[in-house]
Amino acid sequence: MEIYSMFDTLGERLNAALDGVRGSGNLTEDQVKKVTREIRLALLEADVNYAVVKEFVSNVRERATGAEVSKALSPGQQVVKIVNEELANLMGGTPHKLTFASRPPTVVVLAGLNGHGKTTSAGKLALFVRKLGKNPYLVAGDTYRPAAIDQLQQIGSELGVPVYAEGTEPSPEEIAQRGIKAAADGGYDFVIVDTAGRQVVDLEMMEEIKRVRKASRPHSVLLVLDVVTGQNAVEVAQAFQEYADFDGMVLTKLDGDARGGAALSVVSVTGRPVRFASEGEKMSEFDYFYPDRMAGRILGMGDVLTLIEKAEQQMDREEAEADAKRMMSGKFTFEDFLKQMQMIKRMGPLSGLLGMIPGLNKQLQGAQIDDRMLSRVEAMVTSMTAQEQRNPKLLQNPSRVRRIARGAGATQQEVQRLVKQFNEMQKMMRQMGKGGVPKIPRMPF
Amino acid sequence: MSMAHSWRSFFRRDGEEPKGSGVVTQTQVVEGAVRSEDVMPAAEEVLAGRSELMTSEDVVEEAAPGEVEEALPEPGPVEEVPDAEAAVEAQEGVGWFARLRSGLRRSRESVVGQLNAAVAEFRDGEDEEFWETVEEILIASDVGVNTTSKLVRELEQEALERNVTSGRELRALLIEHATRMLEGPVELDVTHRPTVILMVGVNGTGKTTTIGKLVNFLPGSAMLAAGDTFRAAAIEQLQRWGERTGAPVVSRERGADAAAVAHDAVEAATRDGVDVLLVDTAGRLHTKINLMAELDKVRRVIGRQLPDAPHEVLLTIDATTGQNGLRQAKTFNEVAGVTGVILTKLDGTAKGGIALAIANEIGVPIKLVSVGEKAEDLHPFDARQFAAALFGDL
Repeated sequence: MEIYSMFDTLGERLNAALDGVRGSGNLTEDQVKKVTREIRLALLEADVNYAVVKEFVSNVRERATGAEVSKALSPGQQVVKIVNEELANLMGGTPHKLTFASRPPTVVVLAGLNGHGKTTSAGKLALFVRKLGKNPYLVAGDTYRPAAIDQLQQIGSELGVPVYAEGTEPSPEEIAQRGIKAAADGGYDFVIVDTAGRQVVDLEMMEEIKRVRKASRPHSVLLVLDVVTGQNAVEVAQAFQEYADFDGMVLTKLDGDARGGAALSVVSVTGRPVRFASEGEKMSEFDYFYPDRMAGRILGMGDVLTLIEKAEQQMDREEAEADAKRMMSGKFTFEDFLKQMQMIKRMGPLSGLLGMIPGLNKQLQGAQIDDRMLSRVEAMVTSMTAQEQRNPKLLQNPSRVRRIARGAGATQQEVQRLVKQFNEMQKMMRQMGKGGVPKIPRMPF
Repeated sequence: MSMAHSWRSFFRRDGEEPKGSGVVTQTQVVEGAVRSEDVMPAAEEVLAGRSELMTSEDVVEEAAPGEVEEALPEPGPVEEVPDAEAAVEAQEGVGWFARLRSGLRRSRESVVGQLNAAVAEFRDGEDEEFWETVEEILIASDVGVNTTSKLVRELEQEALERNVTSGRELRALLIEHATRMLEGPVELDVTHRPTVILMVGVNGTGKTTTIGKLVNFLPGSAMLAAGDTFRAAAIEQLQRWGERTGAPVVSRERGADAAAVAHDAVEAATRDGVDVLLVDTAGRLHTKINLMAELDKVRRVIGRQLPDAPHEVLLTIDATTGQNGLRQAKTFNEVAGVTGVILTKLDGTAKGGIALAIANEIGVPIKLVSVGEKAEDLHPFDARQFAAALFGDL
């Protein structure tokens, strides 16, 4: 089992297990056995519940036995494809988008274990539905954790979303009921009820969430689940299904590096989909969950789709094409450079972006991807005058370099290095414009 | 049996005798705060302790947290414990062992039931099916593939060498090996004045709550530093704990530099002759390089003021965490030099097997476990009890 650590992705491990098997033909029973063992280990390492793994692996075994090995794919890839499809089957293909009550307000109750991110998710969901044109309202139903109400109120005031709170004396179900009424009276059409974190073995607390659910008559109950959750995700989900009858999940802290097998466990034992993905400290880092992408994450296969979409969101295509044309004609300036960089920054942390590129995951493990480098470069570029940005040749002048370094809090060497790398990039762009395949220079960040 | 779970021996104090009962210090005693229901569980606990095959010494020590509860100021409505829950606890006994057992019950029915069945039928070390069951139990407890395979291999070998044929013997062997893997220096070094304890961890793992609990057990006077200047209301949350425990809280406004708060706090603690300073920090994902750099800065700022400080760097790990806990422990250890892990929220269905993986693969000792929401639910880590709980030998 030691060889496990040598291989980061299931794809690589499968290829290693099937080393020597090439070309067309069927996978033999022995090969399938090797392969299913690898899949089992990979899923367990990704925290998929062992009982779920058992079932899943037997499905894959059935499909893989006798599967035709195609010429286009290596046997390992072939199996990955099967695994991927099975995973996607289980997780569902398309995101489960929000539906709204025909008679507003739509009421959503958030429930979950302590510390999994309910209060933060409440704020994020509020912002998310406001972008969809709704008028959100928050209800502070966590009467247990010290300062939980303050936390929701601070989040509410940052977002400009009203927060209904009655302190910690009344029961959460009373607060929920009155809060929802207050929202309706105030003309708010989307109410989010935050509740206390609870442990599923605490039956009194589980009864309480049942009462909150009953009193709120919610349109939807969402289980908030930390993506790092381990094997007990199954028990947690079953208990919350029994007491809170949730209809979907919010998967939180997706910006970490947990594989998130817990999501698979929960979906497979409850049949409830993951609806939202929450992934950062910023209130805006919240979106519908794309189930097909989770498969890649669990298997450590990267996530090209998300990357592509993120890039699309941040770019104005026409503008981008015009820019590209101009840049490749050799007129690449620091202004363009800055624009590009800011676009990359808007796409989220660089480390997260690179993690989405398949095959890069492993190489990046020891690498330091430092988002602050971007900021340093940005500081240097913004310390240039508009004239300097447009005409980088001016930067041959040492006194200009000195001034920029001072302005950006950088050393002169750093500025000089940036200018040098920029010049290389400019050269490369020109070559690309001419249709040549350039040697890619080291990026300045 | 290891005595590590005793609070009395938990703090290293250079021979200094603890004041008061050995657990509670004068500063934390607030008059008129004894509620009758607080006394009851303590008595129940003694009974529960006895039924758990503990030595008499253990029983006394298990009862100690009850005394702490008595001495606590009346908790605000925030912490009002529903009577029904108290009743359930009273029935089941409230020793942390019992809490752990009740938490594990569900899983026990499935996984440990299998172990019991397997152990009953165990004949010799070559029983493949048996070892698979053991593997499954460990995996299902979040121990992880690597550590599980190491443990099972060791066990298998020893079972063969010693020609073990009885299930009882084998179970003892299982617990022995897991215990050995988990054992480490658990005591907290509080010999300095002030001793600085830095709390670190991923978001939502229970740093602030653990500080609130730990402060009740510290020998001597305590001070808190509100170093989580990021999360909404984190400062307020720590201040509430300060009010409840009587420990002064050093804070700045939200958004302030965490290192500056730490600096203020070390200065204040030194000036006021405080014994222990607990520094809270914002939760951070170990993957965020700039946030980890901030943590490094907090640590350096403390070290500049007081050589050798922080004297303890405690990492909170949520017991429900799966294999990502390994990466958390590894990265936090690299950046902040973790001296011990606190396993929190062990009161759920989680078995906390990630502790075994951390002890084995990262080599950081587990120092404390938290099995419930109340102050007395925090306990010094006991490797043997934990190992026993993993294999359902309760």
